[in-house]
Amino acid sequence: MEPRVVFDKVWKKFRRGERHDSLRDLVPSLVRRMVRGTPQGLQAEEFWAVEDVSFTVPAGQALGIIGPNGAGKSTSLKLLTKILRPTTGACRVQGRVGALIEVAAGFHPDLTGRENVFLQGAIMGMSRAEVLERFDDIVDFAGVGAFIDTQIKRYSSGMNARLGFSIAAHLRPDVLIIDEVLSVGDMAFQQRCVERMFEFKRQGVAIVFVSHNLQAVADLCDQVLVLRRQRLFLGDPVQGISTYVRSLEGATDSQGPVHITAALVDANGGPVEIVKPGDRLTLKATIDARSAVHDFVIAFRIVRSTDQLLVYDAHFPASDFGVSNLSDGGGLTVDFDFRANLTRGQYQLETHLFDVESQRHLAWLRPAGLFAVEEHRTWGGVADVAASASVTRIER
Amino acid sequence: MSEPTMAGDVAEMFREQIEYRELLAQMTKRDLLLRYKQTIMGVGWAVFMPLLNTAVFSVIFVRVAPLDTGVPYPLFAFCGLWAWNFLASSLRFSVNSLTGNTSLVTKVYFPREIFPFSSVAVCLVDFAVGSIVLIGLMAYYGVWPGVSIVALPAVLLVHVLFTAAVALLLAMANLFYRDVKYLFEVMLTVWMFATSVVYPTDLIGGRLGAVLGLNPMTPIIDAYRAVLLRGEWPFTPAFIIAAGASVVLLCVSWFTFHRAEYTFAENI
Repeated sequence: MEPRVVFDKVWKKFRRGERHDSLRDLVPSLVRRMVRGTPQGLQAEEFWAVEDVSFTVPAGQALGIIGPNGAGKSTSLKLLTKILRPTTGACRVQGRVGALIEVAAGFHPDLTGRENVFLQGAIMGMSRAEVLERFDDIVDFAGVGAFIDTQIKRYSSGMNARLGFSIAAHLRPDVLIIDEVLSVGDMAFQQRCVERMFEFKRQGVAIVFVSHNLQAVADLCDQVLVLRRQRLFLGDPVQGISTYVRSLEGATDSQGPVHITAALVDANGGPVEIVKPGDRLTLKATIDARSAVHDFVIAFRIVRSTDQLLVYDAHFPASDFGVSNLSDGGGLTVDFDFRANLTRGQYQLETHLFDVESQRHLAWLRPAGLFAVEEHRTWGGVADVAASASVTRIER
Repeated sequence: MSEPTMAGDVAEMFREQIEYRELLAQMTKRDLLLRYKQTIMGVGWAVFMPLLNTAVFSVIFVRVAPLDTGVPYPLFAFCGLWAWNFLASSLRFSVNSLTGNTSLVTKVYFPREIFPFSSVAVCLVDFAVGSIVLIGLMAYYGVWPGVSIVALPAVLLVHVLFTAAVALLLAMANLFYRDVKYLFEVMLTVWMFATSVVYPTDLIGGRLGAVLGLNPMTPIIDAYRAVLLRGEWPFTPAFIIAAGASVVLLCVSWFTFHRAEYTFAENI
């Protein structure tokens, strides 16, 4: 059986800069085209937003697309939903497509919630009878029951988004295309959204999911596509996320007043990839001052890569070490010794220098190091508290 | 992907319209609801403008420069203005229908024809409301249609097809070139006086009259007067040519629109 979603060697070209859309510009461009013929390659001002990207998603599976801003994620979704058409390549989607790209796009502020549910339902391809049948469920899921006959312009932005998501969630699609909708609503609503997506997967819906919430991608998706105009990686989510985080390296500001470099080593001074909870590690940092700095703080942070959760953040005032003045061209080495008392997951280290007087960052190195913790006890959480259980039967 | 074929595209055009027929109804309902909510007079605007214009032109062509039109002049003018108004307001509405719904065009996929089509549908509702006033005026002047009234649906069909064809072209043109909207406003006024709306254009004659004979709106409006006011059959050669031209124009403009609609999201 052909996969529900096929993206086959897709290229998409866009134009940069201001578009000329007055009739005055039409005649010269028509003449140009007649003289030179329709251009095939890249003209000036044009660029590839998506370059030669391929993937497939079978029924009942989810694909996560991650990448930095401007990597072509939203463009890919718009190609899937037929809003845009590829410049070359093919993009096929089988069955009914539910798109949660801009869930409230069809809402009109002057209409009531009830009127908008029917309008938005029709925009998403539901018949009136279908909307009518699911109307109560939609309103319940969104939790806007008391306001359903109020004009949408009186809604809070959260209510607006919840109602939009709720309509889409009741579409019963074959393919679901989701763009960063988890950022709406409160924690409880987000939890319901995630549960709903798992339910869709069990029902055999193919899902394409774009999010900056890497933990959600890791939880929901069977494969991950790392996109930066081109396909950087396609496959196992954990590996994909680590590829993505590594690709962000070099984020340190080389123009700043201070330059930091760092290396992560284990207790024997060797390189680190995968560790066990409690292993001793050292981040060896070198600080080079390019102008004189005074009274600064050296910070050491641990961040979980998948969701950017700040696990640890410690500040060491330079004055504690008697090095608070650093002249132009001066340098320091700093060894951060720590224990990886962490549960299973991907982590990154960060270090930065903070000027106390001006309250500004002098330099920020992230990631300063990357490592993964492997163990098989925990199911979630972040801190390894080395818990153990002792179990005895009660004799009766 | 196979190269798009003409037959494939035509099949897709119709399949999509059938698939999204409820959306057309919902979008039409949306626009009607909005007008009803946002303005005090609601559909009253649909009859107010042609009535006011009828009064103005009646003063001109009854008192200042009397004109023999074969039927009471206010009836002649209202019938023309009422039919013209359907075209004019449909086009005014559709010229902005794509550019006024930017968020829908760039964020949700559905056949974009829905926008100009629903604009025409909204104006069709106004047109029906206006017909009540026309019936009132006919009763006042004691003018009754004959058996040829059975041809009215055919006249209406040609009128709607022609309006939809121009609506598609204007909506699309304004998306690519924003000055179309302003140019169109000017052209619309000229077009009205080039059509037998408030006076019969065959009075113009000469070379200008021959050029104006190419305007398909004149035979359409004359056909309304024939079936409603004069008890005549509308199927003059000019009307039949206009009907054929409307069908051809609709096919061409719809097909062009369909081919272009994939570029709407990035050009809007």
